[in-house]
Amino acid sequence: MSGQGKSIWDTLGDIPREVLYGVLLVVFVIPMIYPLGLPVPISANVLKWYKAVEDLPPGAVVMIDFGYSGGGEPELGPMAVAVYHHMLRRGDIKVICMSTSIEGPQLWDKAMAELRPEQRYGAVYGVDYINIGYIAGGETAMAAVGKDLRATTSTDYKGTPLDQYSIMDGIVDAHSFDLLICYTTGGDQSEGWVRQWYTVYGTPYMCSVLAMMVPTMLPYMNAGQIISVTSGAQAGEMEGLVHVPARGIKSADVITLTHMLCVVYVVIGNVAYIAKKFQGGSK
Amino acid sequence: MTSGAVKDLQNWGIILTAFSLGFGAVNLFYFHSKHISRRTPKQWMFSLWLLLVIVTFTAVGVFMGPTSTSYNWIYNASYFALSATVYSSLGFYMTSGLYRALRIKNIESTIFMVVGVIVLLKNAPALAVYFPTLSAWGSFIENVLTTSAQRGIMIGGALGAISLGVRTMTGIETGFLGKLTEEEKGGSEP
Repeated sequence: MSGQGKSIWDTLGDIPREVLYGVLLVVFVIPMIYPLGLPVPISANVLKWYKAVEDLPPGAVVMIDFGYSGGGEPELGPMAVAVYHHMLRRGDIKVICMSTSIEGPQLWDKAMAELRPEQRYGAVYGVDYINIGYIAGGETAMAAVGKDLRATTSTDYKGTPLDQYSIMDGIVDAHSFDLLICYTTGGDQSEGWVRQWYTVYGTPYMCSVLAMMVPTMLPYMNAGQIISVTSGAQAGEMEGLVHVPARGIKSADVITLTHMLCVVYVVIGNVAYIAKKFQGGSK
Repeated sequence: MTSGAVKDLQNWGIILTAFSLGFGAVNLFYFHSKHISRRTPKQWMFSLWLLLVIVTFTAVGVFMGPTSTSYNWIYNASYFALSATVYSSLGFYMTSGLYRALRIKNIESTIFMVVGVIVLLKNAPALAVYFPTLSAWGSFIENVLTTSAQRGIMIGGALGAISLGVRTMTGIETGFLGKLTEEEKGGSEP
């Protein structure tokens, strides 16, 4: 019941934020506890990404930048794990990881704990995959690694010399890599790799960024400088393609329902606004 | 020879960035120690807490290693959880903002609302299955409208950066040195 002197349109036009938050929380939590299994269509960009990895020749070497921070992990982590699944399941791709984010090594550990490459795919650290750790400097670090990787870092993220790992045999500079992938919460990183690797060496490049960053990256993709740009929110699609349902699929239900709720909120707000205007009560 | 010089410069860049992280930590200690020693109201306890956290992370990282289980545990149990929570809370503010801001008040806000709703629905995975047209509209907005606008912003920004560079190198722009020109001071105004 609306308050004294307040019409139903006044009430609907000014719903307290606590109510908006409360309904959102309920809509958010229910599919997390009871997944609804709503369909997850595969978008063109995710398909392009999948095909790019699928088309890599046997023995290809991929550089991955874990350039995201803890805040972005719930969005980008599932995508990073799903893509690792794809590459390690093939068994003939070498994956070298570095981080332009200082939290990268910890987040990589987190991803590996979820992935369990040894148990699941028999992949061996230092033979099939490795992490060379955080390299400070942002774009300078990207340029330096592209020019001479070992001059930039001589150890992996645990401090063990890179020469002790067979995966690093023949890895010299950006020319040693067949594909570059970046997961990041920062525009400097996602755009920096275009400038420092694609433009200089022509290394094929793909990036997965926060959903709100996608519009910034689209001009690069449409110009052919990036093979595919995805948002972390599309992790469910990648999990569907690699047949490893996990956090991404679960969050796809949440994304669908919360987006629909947002539209319902917009409709309620506008109906109330227009109704008040017709009643002559609007300011 | 040029290649060697470039490599050296890049390595120096990395060293300087790494050094700046340490310098930042020293600066934090200096700044917050003053708050603690002066018992600044409503601040000093937060400063103390900040320094305690820095010391704890540094001590665990130095003595047990930044890849140790202990370091990962304190990172995951404290910073990671808090960071993800703060970022996720944006969703609530954005929902409330959508409800209040996307109102049909004039032509511009109507266009903004229509485009916003289409992109919202397009990005809801399940809806793209039941309403494929949404996907086509969303792609048009992203690939044509957004890309064009974004390119304009990028080109404008690049031209601005170039002109700023030229002005700085020719000594016209002195603001970065903390020195203002007569024009910047407003001295040339009548």
